[in-house]
Amino acid sequence: MNLAAHAPILAIVVPLLGAFALPLWAKLHKLLRDLWLVLVAAGTAALTVLVAVQVYTAGIQVYTLGAAWPRDAVAPGGFPIRIVLAVDALSAFMGLIAALVAVVGFVYAWRYLAEDEGKTLALTLGTLLWAGMLGMAFTGDLFNLFVFFEVTSIAACGLIGYRTWSSRGPEAAFKTMVMYTVGGLFVLLAIALLYGEYGALNLAHLARLIQGTTVDRIALGLLLGGLLMKAGAVPLHMWAPDAYGEAPAQAVILLVANTQISLYALFRVLFTLYGGLADPAIGWLVVALGTLTLLVAALMAVVQMDLGRLVAFGAVSQIGYMLLGVGVGLTVIAARPAYGLVAIQGGIFHMLNDAVAIGLLFLAVGAVEKAAGNRNLGNLGGLGHDLKWTAGFFLLGSLALAGIPPLNGFASKLMIYQSSFLLSPILSALAILASILLLAVFVKAFQGAFLGPKLSRPEPVPVPMLVAMGVLALGILALGLFPNLVVRYLVMPAADALWKGRDLYLRAVLGR
Amino acid sequence: MTLLTGHGFWNPLLWLAAAAGVTVLALVVWARGRRDYTRGTDGELPFLSGEKMEGAHVGGGHLYWGFVEGLRPYVERLRLFHTGLVNDYVGWLVVILAVVFLIVLVGG
Repeated sequence: MNLAAHAPILAIVVPLLGAFALPLWAKLHKLLRDLWLVLVAAGTAALTVLVAVQVYTAGIQVYTLGAAWPRDAVAPGGFPIRIVLAVDALSAFMGLIAALVAVVGFVYAWRYLAEDEGKTLALTLGTLLWAGMLGMAFTGDLFNLFVFFEVTSIAACGLIGYRTWSSRGPEAAFKTMVMYTVGGLFVLLAIALLYGEYGALNLAHLARLIQGTTVDRIALGLLLGGLLMKAGAVPLHMWAPDAYGEAPAQAVILLVANTQISLYALFRVLFTLYGGLADPAIGWLVVALGTLTLLVAALMAVVQMDLGRLVAFGAVSQIGYMLLGVGVGLTVIAARPAYGLVAIQGGIFHMLNDAVAIGLLFLAVGAVEKAAGNRNLGNLGGLGHDLKWTAGFFLLGSLALAGIPPLNGFASKLMIYQSSFLLSPILSALAILASILLLAVFVKAFQGAFLGPKLSRPEPVPVPMLVAMGVLALGILALGLFPNLVVRYLVMPAADALWKGRDLYLRAVLGR
Repeated sequence: MTLLTGHGFWNPLLWLAAAAGVTVLALVVWARGRRDYTRGTDGELPFLSGEKMEGAHVGGGHLYWGFVEGLRPYVERLRLFHTGLVNDYVGWLVVILAVVFLIVLVGG
């Protein structure tokens, strides 16, 4: 078997089947389950990296299920009717983010989750969520996108309601499930409208056919509504603090990556599917929602006393920066391509920076909860005496998230500030204000939880949890010190794929 | 090592060099301080608004109190929207969908 040619589908199948096999291994022995998970996680991460290397070196990878040869998406004289995976630089970039977050999450979960609290279930759902995210990132088929949207929704809701022994987890899961279901129905209805009009589901084929009719625009509205909800844009974000606050820490970082994958799907719809009908009004809508998101979430974080909810609002505010960057790009790219591209690069770069920084913060909160037994800032204090590494990681994550140089958040935020200044200085001012608010919030949280006299004797944080946090901390430093390398080799091709690469994407799938 | 950011550039190594320079300057100023400082006296105790009790902790709810109170009127308005009721969550989804439709159908 030619592994390289089949890597895109294997990257989805391995975690998908691996997830369902996990409980079976657990029935035999917990050690076998852990070994299986290591195998599945290592295999999936390696396949994702292999796909990314192929995409970044050889161009878009197309894989057609059921065809005689995977690259034959279209039969001679026909159009694509089979399920097609189409992986360009942006899809590969999202796959790498998902792989990083999932591997770190599983290392952390090894000692974070207790066996008698349903560890096997959490690991199974985590692996399933990873498979769904890769499916959403790699698919070139609109209906397939909806299927993986649902796979991620089901797995995410299971993880949010994981702590069944408290009422808050299942309540948060129920609210998220309602929102995901309504949003998913919007997406499904949009796909049905497009299928009814054009008789096709392939994304590239539809992108070539779409003419901007009223039905097309209604479908676009429905897709925007569903995907903005899942990305957690204000005012559709309200499920997110509930969900992030209640899910176990290793699952929360997967949920954050899941919102980013939804954002990716939104960008794919706007740039690839509807790219031929580029509309500044829609760009302004994305900009407005992005600005609202970063500001409202930062303000809400100011008054939070629960460390988990505080970081959750911080996570929502970061979605605003990504929306702002890409929204500015969408608005100005036709008139000022150079600045538009920088804005899109800033938005995409911020996805990686956010995954690393907010991931580290959520893992640190999980460590605090496990060590001290609670997350209430009113009761915490002096943890830095005993949890020195965790305190350092929390501080590093906080400064990175607030965009303090030379850490990673600064570089991407600077790109967003400067490019949004071109559209309106008010946007830059509001984005900087939100960063200042976040800095104040996280300094307050750090002081409250880690500084001051010793108030209690926390349990030591297990080494695997520290290792997982250490990996993300190193990521923050590396991305912060060498942003030019990351932008040149990873972000720039991803941004180009979104804007300039539309024709390449269509040609790669349709062959003409 | 330089990242172009549209209007300007960002080089973290230059920033680190500048930060190292400022740190050296601060150390020089510190080294020129008083030599007759005595350790272990009352001067080392923290002063928390007249609070003399040892072990007093400024908790998370008290730090930046004035800053948070100043923002509270705005935040309280936002808090009214965060009811925790799933009906309201779906309601906002409908509202946003209406706005999106308005933009893609009328504005587009």
